[in-house]
Amino acid sequence: MILDFVEVDNFRNLSGKIFWGPGLNIIHGDNGQGKTNWLEAIHLLSRTKSFRTQRLQETIRFGQDSAFVAGRVSSGDDLQRDLRVTLKENTKSIAVNGKREQLTRYLGQLQVFSFTADQLDVVRGMPEARRHFIDRGVASLRPAYVRTVSDYNRVIKQKNRILQDNLEHNRSLVELQDLLAPWNQQLVQLAAEIHEARVDYTERLNNELERSLFEPAELHIRYSSSLDGKGDLSNYEGLLNERLQLRLPAEAAAGRALLGPHRDDLAVHLAGRELRVFGSSGQQRSALLLLDLAAISVYNSWHDDRPLFLVDDVDAELDENRIRRLLEYLEGRTQTFITTSKRSHVEGFISRANVYEIAAGQAVQPELNRSTFSAVAAND
Amino acid sequence: MLEYAEPVTKLIDELKRLPGIGHKSAQRLAFHIMRTPENELDRLLTAVRDVKQRIVLCSVCNNLTEIDPCRICASTSRDHSVICVVEEPHSMVAVEKTRSFKGVYHVLHGSLSPMRHIGPNELHLANLLPRLKPENNDGVEVSEVILATNPTTEGEATANYIGRLLKPLGLLVTRIAMGMPVGSDLEYVDEVTMDKALSNRREI
Ligand SMILES: [Zn+2]
Repeated sequence: MILDFVEVDNFRNLSGKIFWGPGLNIIHGDNGQGKTNWLEAIHLLSRTKSFRTQRLQETIRFGQDSAFVAGRVSSGDDLQRDLRVTLKENTKSIAVNGKREQLTRYLGQLQVFSFTADQLDVVRGMPEARRHFIDRGVASLRPAYVRTVSDYNRVIKQKNRILQDNLEHNRSLVELQDLLAPWNQQLVQLAAEIHEARVDYTERLNNELERSLFEPAELHIRYSSSLDGKGDLSNYEGLLNERLQLRLPAEAAAGRALLGPHRDDLAVHLAGRELRVFGSSGQQRSALLLLDLAAISVYNSWHDDRPLFLVDDVDAELDENRIRRLLEYLEGRTQTFITTSKRSHVEGFISRANVYEIAAGQAVQPELNRSTFSAVAAND
Repeated sequence: MLEYAEPVTKLIDELKRLPGIGHKSAQRLAFHIMRTPENELDRLLTAVRDVKQRIVLCSVCNNLTEIDPCRICASTSRDHSVICVVEEPHSMVAVEKTRSFKGVYHVLHGSLSPMRHIGPNELHLANLLPRLKPENNDGVEVSEVILATNPTTEGEATANYIGRLLKPLGLLVTRIAMGMPVGSDLEYVDEVTMDKALSNRREI
C-alpha cells in the first residue's frame, strides 16, 4: 500500500496537505518545527492512536475544539481508500470513503510499522514491551487477534479482583476454586490461542530476520513461555490447567494471577548474550530495527502487500553508518518516512528521495533539490 | 464559577446517577425538562412512579411483570420443560421477538463481574435450582436449560458458572451459538465475528 497524501487540520501545529512519494520520504526541519507531528499524524491515521500520548485531546491545536487527519491509501492496481480520523473534545470518529466505520474494520486499512524512541523498551525494557511488540505483529496479520488479547486481559483483571478480595476473606481453597473456575476456563482457552499465535509469529520473525545487517554479531530470538520446563507445551491447555490446579495456593497467597501468557517474554540474544542486559545502546537500536524490518517482511509475505515504515528522529537514534545500511535496505521495498534535523546524515539519499522542509508545521519549498520536490503541494 | 439555582443543580445531580448519563447529558435533560409543559411532565412523572409501584419481579422467572407469576410463566401454551437463562429483561425481549422459542425464561439481572462486585450471590439465581424439580414446576420435568447470556467475558463466565451448577443434575445444558448476522453480505461482517464464525464452523 502507498499513502498518497495526508491532509491535516488543527492537529498540533499542523494544517495543510502533503503529497508523498512512493519510496523514501525525508522530512527535514529544525527541532520544534513539527516534523515529528507529521509522523504522528500518519501513525494516528493508521492506528487511531498516537505514539506520544494516551490523551488524544492534547493533540488538538490549542483554542480549537476539533481536529482531523485524512489521507488517501492506494493498494493493488487502482484501489483507493480515503481514511479520516476526526478528534473532537474527547471523542474520536473514524471513516472510510466518507462513511463511518467501526474500529475492527478500520484497523489494517493503512498498516504502519514505526521506529520511535518509545519503542526502545522492546530491546531494553521489561517483558511487557516485548509482548506488545509480538501482539502488534500478530494483529497486523489477523486484526481479530486484538479482541482475543483484550478478552484475555479482562479475564485476568476479573480473576485478580477475586484473588485480591480473597486476601481479606480467606475463603477455603475449594470455595476459591469455585469462584475462579468460570474465569480460569476462559483464561485457559484464550491463553492457548495467544500462546499459539505468539509462537507462530516468533517463528515467522525468525525466518525473516536479517541477523547481521548492522552488526557483525548475530541476533537470535525465541518465544519464552512462563511454562517452559514445566511439562509438555504441545498440549498447552492441558498443561496450563494442571499448573492452575497445582498453583492455586500460591495464587491465593499472592493475591493475583500468576500463570498465563501475561507472564511470558521474547528472549532476544546478540552473540549468545541477553541484549537487554549486555547490549550497547547502539546494538539495542540495531536489534530493534532488525525486528521492525522482520515484522515488515512477515506482513509482506502474509498479505502480499507492503506496509509503511516510519522512523522518527533518525540521526538522534542511529549513526551515519546504520542510517546508510537501513536506507539502502529499504530502497525499493517499502514506503518510508523519516524525520531528521541533520541533512548531512541523509545527503547521499536526497537525490533518490522526496524531501520536505518543515517550518512552523508547514511543508515549504526547500532551497535545494527542487526537482525532488515536484510531488509536493503545500498549503493546498 | 457560575452555579445554577439549587433546584436545577439538584435535578442535574439526580439525572447524573442514571446509567450512561454524564454531566453534559444531564444538563441537556434538565433544560429539556424545564422547557416541557406541566401536563406533559405529569405523564412522565406518573410513568416513573407506576413503574416502581406496579411492576414487580416474577417470583418464578424474575421477569418484570404487573401480575405474579408473569404471563409467560402462567401460560399453558408455553413449554415449561425448556428454560432459557438471560442476563436482562431486554435480552428476553430479543429472544421473544424471534417467535420461535416456546419455552420459558429465567432472568439473572446481571452477569458475574468481580470488578463490579457482582458474584454468584448478587445474581437472581437462588430460585433457578428449585424450579428444576417437577414438584415445583406443575409436575413438568425440565429437560433443557439454554444459557443465553451475552457473548462477553462476563456472560461466558456466568454461563460457565451455571453450567457447573447444573451439570450434576443430569439435564441437557446448552449455550447459544455466536456467529454471523443473517442476511448480511460476508463482506460486511466485522473480522472478529468472522473469525469466531470460522472457528465455530460445523460439518454439513
Ligand atoms: Zn415469570
